[in-house]
Amino acid sequence: MSLHAHVVADVGALHLDVRLHAAAGEVVAVLGPNGAGKTTLLRALAGLVPLSAGRVVLDGRVLEDPATASRRTAEDRDVGFVFQDHLLFPNLSVLDNVAFGLRCRGVRKGRAREIAAAWIGRVELASLAQARPGALSGGQAQRVALARALACSPALLLLDEPLAALDVQARQSMRRLLRRHLDAFGGPCVIVTHQPLEAIALADRLVIVEQGVVVQDGAAAEVARRPRSRWVARLVGLNLYRGTARDHTVALEGGGSLRTADAAGGEVFATVHPRAVALHPEAPRGSPRNAWRGTVAEIDLHGDHVRVHVEGPIPIVAEITPAGLADLSLSEGQPTWVSVKASAVDLFPR
Amino acid sequence: MSGLPAPARRAGTGTGDPGRRGLPRPVVPLAVAGLALLLLPLAGLVARTPLRTVPEILADPAVGEALRLSLLSSLAALVLATVLGLPLALLFARADFPGKSLLRALAVLPMVLPPVVGGVGLLLAFGRRGIVGGPLAQATGIVIPFTPVAVVLAATFVAMPFLVVTVESGLRLLDRRYEDAATTLGAGPWTTFRRVTLPLIWPSLAAGMALCWARALGEFGATITFAGNLSGRTQTMPLAVYVELQRNPEAAYLLSLLLLAVSVAVLVALRDRFLGGR
Repeated sequence: MSLHAHVVADVGALHLDVRLHAAAGEVVAVLGPNGAGKTTLLRALAGLVPLSAGRVVLDGRVLEDPATASRRTAEDRDVGFVFQDHLLFPNLSVLDNVAFGLRCRGVRKGRAREIAAAWIGRVELASLAQARPGALSGGQAQRVALARALACSPALLLLDEPLAALDVQARQSMRRLLRRHLDAFGGPCVIVTHQPLEAIALADRLVIVEQGVVVQDGAAAEVARRPRSRWVARLVGLNLYRGTARDHTVALEGGGSLRTADAAGGEVFATVHPRAVALHPEAPRGSPRNAWRGTVAEIDLHGDHVRVHVEGPIPIVAEITPAGLADLSLSEGQPTWVSVKASAVDLFPR
Repeated sequence: MSGLPAPARRAGTGTGDPGRRGLPRPVVPLAVAGLALLLLPLAGLVARTPLRTVPEILADPAVGEALRLSLLSSLAALVLATVLGLPLALLFARADFPGKSLLRALAVLPMVLPPVVGGVGLLLAFGRRGIVGGPLAQATGIVIPFTPVAVVLAATFVAMPFLVVTVESGLRLLDRRYEDAATTLGAGPWTTFRRVTLPLIWPSLAAGMALCWARALGEFGATITFAGNLSGRTQTMPLAVYVELQRNPEAAYLLSLLLLAVSVAVLVALRDRFLGGR
């Protein structure tokens, strides 16, 4: 089970030309600024927007190929789609919403409801099976939407900003639930988001789309370390560590630990913005709670800013100005001191 | 149609509105006169209808027949207008074809056309020598004008545009992504329409049907022109009111009051749309 897609589509002023591959069980996050064509990409994969060229192949079945004028309609693609604002049918109960796809596939009413009820249990909403969508909170509605998409056991799962419409609390619990269901889902999954940390938390691989084309494609850590566009650098180009938090300390998986301003517990992502990383010729004095000695491994010049990669107990990237670089007279292979304020370490539960 | 509710709602929120201080002097007396013109006929109907004689009047075969014919023909017109008007609204809201805006304008023309002109048109189309009625009569011997079928056709002609316009605006306001969601779940066009689109536009459809039925029930001009005024055969309530006014005014008053009651009932049923929910 895998997805191989080359999506070329024109919607309004947008010209989309994206190659996307996802293996069985792989979660690919499509990230990009507003208007980049992310939603159009998903809609094209689902068959809701026609391709003008390219090809979509799922599990060896050609879903669409304009060159041979072959096209499966959206209803015939076996694709699960979760929309940003859930789009539950307001006239049907939660149970019948989840049973909808099964009924369309010819499953008898009683059996469809049984399967639907099991899925509603799996998204922890068993007590709300008879409720109408209007009576649900945003988070609950989005869980039902997930159950509705998964109940048909689709060959491909597409999620369009599934957390964007939720408040902070609901977002966190929905993300955990989503993580669990994505782990259990055997097929390829494509999730669209404009939230880098969400993408990192949910996906195995990031695909960055800007103005209709892929600007970068790789593992989350790789994209974060070496962002190839301004937008990625600004939003994804973070120092990213997996670790376990306890009180004011995060023990990092790769060794070392970071002090944090806020107390936390459990498995976390710790992020440090490169601009919050300071470099010093000698051991820093004063307030920084995190300081260590490292070696400059690489210096990337990006016009008005410089990204300095420092190897050491905790590998880290610092973003400084060209003037700062000149002041420090840094060069590759040279030792340097690194400091990070405790308040600059952001935690994000995994 | 959808343009009506909003201004009505705004006008209802007068109290405490600082803008109301600046009303020019003649506004209030003129508005009261306007209201009187609208309300006095209703008051007259209610005041002068002899409720004591109701059983007697209803026993009059001409009245009973008119009532029965009106109900049956208006309901038949409603069914016909729904069966034909709903697809027409879908076509206008969803399809793109050359000449669409012109066709759309012509299709809703009966809303503003003098009904008697509609009746003449119906005669020229479906009459014994009409462009369709002529060949039909020759081929099958079926003659439409001056029959109950003509009553239904006349009512449908004048009333269907109300349904088309209301449903079309409902379709345009519908978030089509609900239909996308149904499609990705494996629903074909018919299932999507039946289980998603139709329930979502139901408020518009119900409103359209209510307006359509009310208009069909009150139809006079096109009916008398195309279907005539044959007691027991094509004489509907509005025609009976007109005739009885000469013969037995009290029956005319009662029938008028009945029609008024129906209109009020429809207005109450549509209160969210036309009375701002107040």
